[in-house]
Amino acid sequence: MGDVSYVKIDLTSNLFCKCTVVIINTKITEMSSQISTKEKLLYILDDMELIAKELIENAIAPKHLKLSGPEYAQLTELLVAKDEELKQTLKLAQKQADIEEKMDVLRLEVERRDKDINQLQTKLKEAEQILSTAIYQANQKLQSIHRANKRPVSSEELIKFAHRISASNAVCAPLTWQQGDPRRPYPTDIEMRLGFLGRLSDPINGHLLQQPNNISDLHRLGGPATGDIPASQQNQFAWLPSGEIHMSVGGQGSVPVETRNHKQETEDVEVMSTDSSSSSSSDSQ
Amino acid sequence: MDSNNESNSDLQKRMTVDDLNIEILPVFYEIIKSVERDHHDNTAKTRESQDCSQKVLELQKRFDQARSQISLLPGIDYSKEQQLQHLEALKTQLHLKQELLYKYRFMYPFQMQK
Repeated sequence: MGDVSYVKIDLTSNLFCKCTVVIINTKITEMSSQISTKEKLLYILDDMELIAKELIENAIAPKHLKLSGPEYAQLTELLVAKDEELKQTLKLAQKQADIEEKMDVLRLEVERRDKDINQLQTKLKEAEQILSTAIYQANQKLQSIHRANKRPVSSEELIKFAHRISASNAVCAPLTWQQGDPRRPYPTDIEMRLGFLGRLSDPINGHLLQQPNNISDLHRLGGPATGDIPASQQNQFAWLPSGEIHMSVGGQGSVPVETRNHKQETEDVEVMSTDSSSSSSSDSQ
Repeated sequence: MDSNNESNSDLQKRMTVDDLNIEILPVFYEIIKSVERDHHDNTAKTRESQDCSQKVLELQKRFDQARSQISLLPGIDYSKEQQLQHLEALKTQLHLKQELLYKYRFMYPFQMQK
């Protein structure tokens, strides 16, 4: 392209060289398939303009400067050939416009596929996240199942434990509660002593150093003694009229268990009984 | 600006080879004919020369118009070979994307696990 403009400027006055330019242009357009059709068309137009200009100049030039017959005829033929080439190239352009239409359709299709792929990828990513969360949770559950399998707990023990919890943490007394029933809505002294804190303050037992590792162990330790509470109402604990509780220890007789404020406890019992009666009355209402 | 752009793109869409006005030879022929016509009358000569210069201007205008119209033709930014290559590339792209979609769709046959 640079060659063309250079030659055009340089050779405006020299017909021979102009013809050379035209021929060079022609060779460029014919030989190089890299040149776009648009450039090719513009080259041909440049050539035609150049030839036309030269022919018109020749027509109005003085006689001694005019071209010879064969040269003139050659130029005219070249112009006609260029015109023909222009028309051929325009046909090519028409074909290319058709191809462009097809390409537009294809481009639209590709764009639509792109959208679909993007959508699918987003959904797959979401699914992956959900699945990985589910797998993580399932793994956790499996781990706890393994843990549970390693140290199985009998259902009876569980139910006893549940009873105990509901007995010692209830808001009001159970319906079957009667005077003399050692069950309380709070941990009793015996339970406290059996518990972790009771052992902490008991230096004789040496539990300061050998503390159970976790609370479940503690419950386990306390379980058999406390779990039997409903059944051992007559056996292990005896409610004495004096208000003291006696606990039987391995058939060695009963050991008096100090209840610090047994008077207050009896008051509590009364309060509890009134509570239950009031609640039942409110229920009946 | 937008309306200009729109009108330009409309023109680009509508411009086809049939719409082009690239008839150079007839105008050129007219010019040569009027130059070579020999007039005896001076006034006729002057008129003819004015007419001739008008036609030369018209020829120039025709060239410029042809150039601007050619730049509006669609799909001629590449040679035909290059354009065909692009077309092939697009077809391959579409095919690959289609395959990818197919793969995605049937990647996890959940219904097979029943």
